Order: sequence, then C-alpha cells, then structure tokens
Amino acid sequence: MAQPFVKKDDDREDDAEYSPFMGIEKGAVLQEARVFNDPQLDARRCSQVITKLLYLLNQGETFTKTEATEVFFAVTKLFQSRDTGLRRMVYLMIKEISTSADEVIIVTSSLMKDMNSRTDMPSWTKIPWLQVLPSVSGIHLLQTNPEIVKRWSNEVQEAVQSRAALVQFHALALLHQIRQNDRLAVSKLVTSMTKGSVRSPLAQCLLIRYTSQVIRESGVNTQPGDRPFYDYIEGCLRHKAEMVIFEAARAITEFSNVTARELTPAITVLQLFLSSSKPVLRFAAVRTLNKVAMTHPMAVTNCNIDMESLISDQNRSIATLAITTLLKTGNESSVDRLMKQITNFMSDIADEFKIVVVEAIRSLCLKFPLKYRSLMNFLSNILREEGGFEFKKAIVDAIVILIRDIPDAKESGLLHLCEFIEDCEFTYLSTQILHFLGNEGPKTSDPSKYIRYIYNRVILENATVRASAVSTLAKFGAMVDSLKPRIFILLRRCLFDNDDEVRDRATLYFNTLGGDGPVVETDESVKDFLFGSLDIPLANLETGLKNYIQDPSEEPFDVNSVSKEVKSQPLAEKKVPGRKPTGLGTLPAGPTSAADAYERLLSSIPEFASCGKLFKSSVPVELTEEETEYAVNVVKHIFDQHVVFQYNCTNTIPEQLLENVTVIVDASEAEEFSEVASKSLRSLPYDTPGQIFVAFEKPQGVPTVGKFSNMLRFTVKEVDTSTGEPEGRWSGRRVPT
Amino acid sequence: MLLAVLIANSEGNILVERFNGVPVEERSHWRSFLVKLGAENLIGVKNEELLVACHKSVYITYTVFGDVSVYVVGKDEYDELALAEVIFVITSALKDVCGKPPTERLFLDKYGKICLCLDEIVWKGLLDNTDKDRIKRLVRLKPPTEF
Repeated sequence: MAQPFVKKDDDREDDAEYSPFMGIEKGAVLQEARVFNDPQLDARRCSQVITKLLYLLNQGETFTKTEATEVFFAVTKLFQSRDTGLRRMVYLMIKEISTSADEVIIVTSSLMKDMNSRTDMPSWTKIPWLQVLPSVSGIHLLQTNPEIVKRWSNEVQEAVQSRAALVQFHALALLHQIRQNDRLAVSKLVTSMTKGSVRSPLAQCLLIRYTSQVIRESGVNTQPGDRPFYDYIEGCLRHKAEMVIFEAARAITEFSNVTARELTPAITVLQLFLSSSKPVLRFAAVRTLNKVAMTHPMAVTNCNIDMESLISDQNRSIATLAITTLLKTGNESSVDRLMKQITNFMSDIADEFKIVVVEAIRSLCLKFPLKYRSLMNFLSNILREEGGFEFKKAIVDAIVILIRDIPDAKESGLLHLCEFIEDCEFTYLSTQILHFLGNEGPKTSDPSKYIRYIYNRVILENATVRASAVSTLAKFGAMVDSLKPRIFILLRRCLFDNDDEVRDRATLYFNTLGGDGPVVETDESVKDFLFGSLDIPLANLETGLKNYIQDPSEEPFDVNSVSKEVKSQPLAEKKVPGRKPTGLGTLPAGPTSAADAYERLLSSIPEFASCGKLFKSSVPVELTEEETEYAVNVVKHIFDQHVVFQYNCTNTIPEQLLENVTVIVDASEAEEFSEVASKSLRSLPYDTPGQIFVAFEKPQGVPTVGKFSNMLRFTVKEVDTSTGEPEGRWSGRRVPT
Repeated sequence: MLLAVLIANSEGNILVERFNGVPVEERSHWRSFLVKLGAENLIGVKNEELLVACHKSVYITYTVFGDVSVYVVGKDEYDELALAEVIFVITSALKDVCGKPPTERLFLDKYGKICLCLDEIVWKGLLDNTDKDRIKRLVRLKPPTEF
C-alpha cells in the first residue's frame, strides 16, 4: 500500500517537504476523532479528521468492526452541524465505512430530517437532477426486485423526455432494462425515441445500441433500403459528438450480411478518426477496422495509408492493431514494405502483441504464397530475438504450417528451424522440431544436410532432447538408405549415453534397422513398427496392461489382443466460444442417446448403482462465469428417490494441477434432501475435463424443491509448463460456484 | 460498468481508489497492474493526453495530470470512448478544485474535496454527474442549478 509521500518540487514550492498526511497513523486519527463528540463542534477540525480517515481507508488501512462502529456513531453526531460542507463529508464517510444493519435506521432518519428541514426548497420531484437518482437506483434494484421497478414505467417514461441530458441517459437505460424481455416493447421504444429529439450524446449511444438490437432481431436483410432504422443510424454518422459518430459506425460494421454500400459511410468516418489527435479515437477506429478487415478486407483497403502512419504511434495497442489490420488488407506488392516497417516495431511490443502479429503474418503468407521467402526470413529473425515460450511456439507453429502448405518453402523453413534448435532454451520446442524434422527431412532433396544439426543435439542437450534426436536420426536412417552407414555410426555412439531412455532407443533402432549387418533397404514392416502410429486407443492399451499385470500369465503381453474399438463419447463436446469444452457437454441431437449415456455412466459408478433407473437428466447449467480459472457446469440426474449432481470441471490454467477436487454442497435450504454419497476427482490437470458426483436422497413420489450452494475445494500444485511436471508446491483453495 | 477509478502519484503510490463490482481479492492485482501500466507508458506524456489499453473485454484509459496519474477502468457499455468522457470529467473536477494541474502536495491538501467530487461523479459504477458547476454545488449540498 502507498505510504504518505510528498515529492519536492523546487520549481513551484519554496517550503520544505510537507504532506498533510505525513506520519499519519490509524490509532492517532481515531483518537483525534473524539472531537466529533464535542458539544461545540469545530467544523474545520472535524472535516480534517474525516479527510484523514478517508485517506487511511484509501491506503488500505482496515478498521475492525469495533473501530468502524465507533467511528460511524461518532460521525453521525456531526449531522447536527450547521456546516453543509461538513455534513456532505459525513455522508461520504458513512458510505465508506462499513455499517451493520442496526445502524442504518439512524442514517435514514437523519437523512430524512436533512431533506425535510429544507422548507425553502421547491418540490423535490421538480428538481431535474434528483430524477437521476431513482433511475440509477432502479438500474441496481432491477437485479434483485424487478417487480418494484417495473411499476415506475410511467415515471421513467416521463424522465426519458427530460431536457436534462444525464436524466434522459439514465432513464433510457432503465426503461430499456425494464422492457428488455419484450421485443415488441423495445421496438416501440426505439421507434418513438428515434423520431423524437435525444439531447444527450450518451443517450444517443444507448439508442444506437438498442436500435442495432432491434435490427438484429428483425431478421436477416441484405438490401439497405429494407433494413429498418438504417437511415437513423446512418444519420448519426453526421452527429456533432464523436462518440455518437463512432457508435453509429461501429453499429453499421456489425450488421449481419452488411453490404459494401452500407459499409462505405461508416468506413469513411472511421478513416477520419485514424488521423485524430486523440488516442482513444484512433484506438477505437483502428480496433473497429481490424474487426471489419476479418470479413471485408477490400472495404478497408482505402484506409491503408492512414494505418501505415499508425505503425509508429506511441500507443503500442494502436500500432499493433494497425499492423495486424494492414496484414489482412495489404496486397502482394505492399508486403515487402510492410515487413520493413514491422521489423523495427517488433522490439517495442510485448509478447502477447507479438503473437498476434505472428499469426497475422502466417495468414498473410498463406494468402500470398509467392512471398514466402521474405515472410519466412522475418519469422526466422524474430525467432532469434528475446521472447517467452508462447511467442517462440507461435513462430515455430507458423513456420511448420507454412512448410506444410507451401511446398517451395520446405527447405528454407526446415533450415530455419534447424538453426533455431541450435540455441533453443525450450525442451518442448526442440523435441517438437526434431520430430517434425524426422518426418519432413528425409523427403527433401538433400537430407544429409540436416544430420549435423540433429546429432549436435545428442551431444549438447538434455536427456529429453537427446532421446528425441536419436529417434529423428533413426528415421533418417530408415527412410534414406544412402545415409544408413553414417547413421549407424552415430547411433553406435548413442549406445553409451548416460540416460537409459536414450540408450534404449538407440539400441532398439540400431538392432531393428540392422546396424550390425549389411546395409539393405529397410523393410516396410520395420518402418511401420518403429515409426508408424499406434492404432490402439491409449485408454484401451492402459486397461489391457492393467489387466495383464493383475492376472499375470506365462504368455508375453500381446498388443494385438487389445481392442482397437474406440469407446464412443456419450455426447459430442459442445464448443462454447472462448472456452474449452468441459467434458460431457450438451447434446447436438438425439436426446435418447444422451440419457442412455448418462445411465451407463452412473450405473458404472458403484456409489450410484443402487439409485435405480434414471428418470431424467437436465441440460448442463454453467455455475461459473466465462473465462474463469476453473470452469464448472452441473447436470442434475433425477432418480425415483435420489438426485445426483454431476459437476463437469475443467482447469484452464496451464501452470496448475488440481488434486483432491471435491464439491461441498450446502443443502441448508433444501431440508428434504440428505446427502448420501459423493465421488471426488483425484486430479484435474490442465484442459482435461473431469467429473465430480454428489448424490442426495429425496422423498419418493412427492414434488420437492430445494436450493443448493456449491463450493469447489481442491489443492493446487504448480506445474512447470516446459516439462509438464508438477513442482510440488501446495496450497489449498476454495472457490464458490 | 465503471470498475475502478484510481489516482496515483508519480512514484506509483495510490492516493485515491474507488472500486465497483471488483472482489476484494482482485483489487491488489488491479492496483499493481495499473501502476505498472502507468510506469511503463506515462513517461514523457503531456498533461491530459489520454492513453488507452484493453484486456479481453475490459478497457482502461489513463492520463497524467500535474503530479498525479488518473486511471479509469470500465467494461460493457463503458468502452474506451465512454471512459474518455469519465476521465475528462475527473480531470476537470481536479482542475476546478486545485486551480491548476496539481502537485502532489496540492492534491493532498485538497484531498477531502477531491474525494467528494469523485463521489458525485461516479456512483456505484455508473457515471452520475459530469458538469463541473453542478458537481461544485453538490459537494456543498446545494441544489445543482439555480431556481
């Protein structure tokens, strides 16, 4: 937290260093607060003490319940002061300090007294600014008691016609919230407001958003003349307030099936904003143009020159957006110039921006494959620069994709990757590249030039990379007969490696490829054995091996005895935008198959096998918000006498492994239910959905209702993302869902 | 919703903060993030020159004003342009209270009044009052306009 501190400013002040809060200390200020009890109030002194208390609160000083209550009661005594400035400070202080329910009555009665004592004031209802307060309160109150607020419709309607700009803004927001579930009512609201005069720019922006909503809900239309309210929104492009112009432009760009003709006026104003002196306007414009460029790149090309000047913008967000937009809208002739400009820019921006640029360059290269040389050189250069794992991985992935999709780029791309692994600090990337080299290198015109890079890894790197390099060498030997003698020499050296995995691999490859015999063409079955893909699902293989260990026999384990049948997923995974699938998601079609799948799943769990026949299962209900660290949804399975909650959990943090994951269900508001069984998760690694079950017994044949609060409890282990191994640091956590 | 308003000194020490709808455990993260953002980007920036940043669906506008830096964080309807309005209102109010872009000492001297102004400008995460004369009257418990 901040300490009281004053910066000495020789240009402006001659005094010595001074701060009104120098050496401030909570205990001393609480002592000073005794002045609130004086019968003769010193308003100035009391204001100073309240200011100190506010400063302490802003510095993170915490007051105990006792201290807060004492201060609260002491401050309320100041209501009797005639000094309005002091009383205003009292209102602020009361809001800041936490209060118990017992104290509220004192506040409300004092406030009522304050309001009623002003006999010279006109009727409160005629004071415009006061009309703002209930609108704002209503917006908050709507969340908890919508019925109360909905009765205010007439008054809110009047407030919408108010001449005061902010009153209109808040009232319009409240009116929309009241009517948002009635499409026709919203449409009528928009119709009447677009015909009337809306004074407030903020209210205009709201109205444009509501109008867009109505347009969206009125159905798909490609004819500009047919799109309702288009004229109104297009007219807003000529408004005097910049925020209204921008809101209208953005609304137009977000129309579904927007035509080039509809887009033109919007793009024109956004182009003007690109050269604005205000960074927020430039940012807003370039961000919108970036989105438009994804779907209508040709519509944005007119703005290219303005965007090129934004590459050197001081604000790096603006510069990055400008570059990525240009990469989408640029043509083949501008690629080289663009690359030169981007090269200087890359060192100024953070890794997450760089990744965005890399992905844009990849798309550009696929769009203009003839330009692969300059783009690949650019990627290779930035690969050599400082950067984190995600950044380097993005570049490697981009190069790999370009190699795959552009045949001419293969040789240069592979060489770039080879140069990179000479000095790569990330084991994961080195192994990934070596594997890729092993697949693609033997197919090139001169595979031998890659051997040096691969064998250097055997000499210089850690065990994981060495093992990977040995496999890659063997692939070259298997695929290219002319290289076999030299490969065997190298593999023979690997037989004496320190690491057993490296030695085992080298031995396997050396013997299987015939290292001791004459050099012959490698048999296809050998290639298939060594480098072919395993057709057997890993889950089946694991089950087979476990069964073999439990019932050992004289016969060796036969991999052919493992079933190759893939167990069908009970449900297709539903991909929610911006989120990973969380295990068993909703069904795309065929409810009966879902019910069967759930029934099979539950009956396979011993704890719930006695529940009987499954009556019905609900759709998954999200318990956590989007983009949370731990995503949880719940499926409710209803049996005759039981309810089983299935919590589908996903850990979205790569640096963490969750262990002993359970759900604690608080059924205090579901008295007729009693918990009978639960099944927790032993571990929940990153991005691997898991299920937790909790079963409740319920009365049979009687409709029963209950409310269940859920708490996710787990232990966290930190994970080293480069190796994937947990680091053994523990902490317990509880997350309410 | 306006998630946060923060005012810090040139050293990155926070002088005033207001959070709305931000859980207590997230606030320290926001504090350090915003201070770091300012430390990296506000050097050499002119008075009231607006800077903007965004992360996922949350927008931040910030600026330097005298010896203090002002940060405003918003989401949903409070995008970068709405936040620009908010920050303009705040800097106008500061100018009105302090008479000029404040030194840190001047800011601390007027601390109470500044807190009152912020209380009038932002209410529970919504922009409430924007006119500086109105704010000036409201902090003195006077009706905002003459009758």
